[in-house]
Amino acid sequence: MTLLRLNNITRRFPLGSPLYGPRKYLVAVDGVSLDVEMGRTTGIVGESGCGKSTTGRIALGLEPPDSGGVLFQGFPLPRIDSNRWRAQRRQMQLVFQDTLAALDRRMTVSALIAEPLAIHGIGDSASRKQRVAELLHGVGLGEDHGVLYPHQLSGGQRQRVVLARALAPKPSLLVCDEPVSALDVSVQAQIVNLLMDVQQELGLGLLFISHDLRVVRHVSDRIVVMYLGRVVEQGRADAIIDQPAHPYTQALVSAMPRLPGGFDHYVALPGEPPSPTDRPSGCPFHPRCPLARDVCRQSLPELLPLGSERQVACHLVRH
Amino acid sequence: MLHKSFQNSAGAALLPAHGIGASATKPAISIAGLRVAFGDVPVLHGVDLAVNKGEALGIVGESGCGKSVTWRAVLGLLPKSAEIGGEARIGDLDLVGARQSVLDRVRGGRIAMIFQDPASALNPVHRIGAQITEALRLHRGLSGAAARAEACRLLDQVGIAAAASRLNTYPHELSGGQNQRVMIAIALAGRPELLIADEPTTALDATVQAQILLLLKDIQRDTGMALVMISHDLAAVAAVCDRACVMYAGQIVETAPKHTLLTAPEHPYTRDLIGAIPPSHGPRMRLTAIAGAPPQRNLPPGCAYAPRCRHAIAVCRTSRPEPRQVAARHSVRCLRLDAGTYQ
Repeated sequence: MTLLRLNNITRRFPLGSPLYGPRKYLVAVDGVSLDVEMGRTTGIVGESGCGKSTTGRIALGLEPPDSGGVLFQGFPLPRIDSNRWRAQRRQMQLVFQDTLAALDRRMTVSALIAEPLAIHGIGDSASRKQRVAELLHGVGLGEDHGVLYPHQLSGGQRQRVVLARALAPKPSLLVCDEPVSALDVSVQAQIVNLLMDVQQELGLGLLFISHDLRVVRHVSDRIVVMYLGRVVEQGRADAIIDQPAHPYTQALVSAMPRLPGGFDHYVALPGEPPSPTDRPSGCPFHPRCPLARDVCRQSLPELLPLGSERQVACHLVRH
Repeated sequence: MLHKSFQNSAGAALLPAHGIGASATKPAISIAGLRVAFGDVPVLHGVDLAVNKGEALGIVGESGCGKSVTWRAVLGLLPKSAEIGGEARIGDLDLVGARQSVLDRVRGGRIAMIFQDPASALNPVHRIGAQITEALRLHRGLSGAAARAEACRLLDQVGIAAAASRLNTYPHELSGGQNQRVMIAIALAGRPELLIADEPTTALDATVQAQILLLLKDIQRDTGMALVMISHDLAAVAAVCDRACVMYAGQIVETAPKHTLLTAPEHPYTRDLIGAIPPSHGPRMRLTAIAGAPPQRNLPPGCAYAPRCRHAIAVCRTSRPEPRQVAARHSVRCLRLDAGTYQ
């Protein structure tokens, strides 16, 4: 069952002052559609400025789209800051990269985890205490961690607290924005395993946003590849990584060093992602694309089906 | 230029075998018993390491393992409060405790270093041309048109297009990847025997990371300088280096040729570290999560990894392992290996 559906979402931010000349816009997200199924993980991968974080914020209703709609459990998201939106936020939670910024450093771990319960008016103080203990245990922390402050914990422990806090009101959707990027490999593995365990246990839908293709491949059932605000390819995780169809996905997969081979299958990709304030005409990828032709410079390719389980936006892919 | 495959790379084969050949060619740098402490907190517990001429060596480990501190101590880049012991020989010169005037000539000259964040390593108010020619003047005595021509050649070597016009740009006008290329050009200005790259691509996007790693590899092979790449990313090290050292809690726990280290690691930490990396292809298996965290201040009485090690036995908690040669160029610091009871 589809838990979350983004339908042709666009979000642009005005640049500079409106007083001088025509207004310029940064188009962060341009016509993105994606689904998150219940109990499944959709991964969004892309380089900086591709709009992956903005997409996550729109999915939670933290950012209104300029056009397009967000359906959660089949219904449009209520207007931001309305009472119904607040009530719904209980169902959808966010985990992100910077745990020190996410946790109020003047609150103890127990108080931090109990806060969302109080906000949503869940249970009385005794049952909240009980629930906090369960949550601490569930994310692999002991009750003695409850009395500590965020700065007394390691990065991995703090990410566990953030996760416990997100799980407290029993959400059905978790949006994870770079949840393991700041962590060391061994701790990253702990958190990834924990996320997958929690998902299996609670049947959570996960929108997992990361620049790290390895991690995204590992956790995701479906992968959405974004470039300059647009989806260039999406489909089943294995298919996308093992047989990427879009030239950008091919380059991204080949730029991931393999163990033990390194860059054995490297496809050279010149240049760097352009700024979203200055988007090229036609296909946004054409200035870096090794296969670009005239049609790519002139018209924007649509996201069209390739086989039954994949969509690709490229003029040169035979649909 | 970046599109080379490394199938024919003779990097490893050309290197002298450890032990036999090492006496014939002097290493580019040899570090022995290097110790560092900040106040009463020791961070390096005796690092022994030789980097051969023309070799690309990777140093891998998690935050706080001492991989950066090792090289900062060698180059005298640590704050005054650091207590440093041991030696680091480059030729006949010991860099540990060397005078500032000596270090000034070595740094940027015989040994160059690049860092994670190029934007903060470059001076924002000077044009990049001036920053490259400064290095050329200091270390090669070039000035005027000769320096400018050489700066132009260096930019070209690091893959910056339209090099002559780029000399007049400021760092903020360039992207992160281009700034890292400029840093590499500055590092190459002194024709170093050894380039130390400390997490050179951690701040860069995936496709740009690959470009820079392959550029470093190309330059190392073309110039014949030695390269030390410090990274938390074993896969990045695999892409560039011939040989790799794994560090844990201020010690080297395993050293081996890259392929051996990745396909037949002996130290439990190395194995766990490899198991913790999500594979890029093949079936998806549960990741190895290493329980606990590295020791924060003082080492435990036995092996530093014992509290987290799945193979630890009683002796691991009481006595400290010494490095043991298990094959040519492959050494491991593990007591279970010594006892022959592991595996």
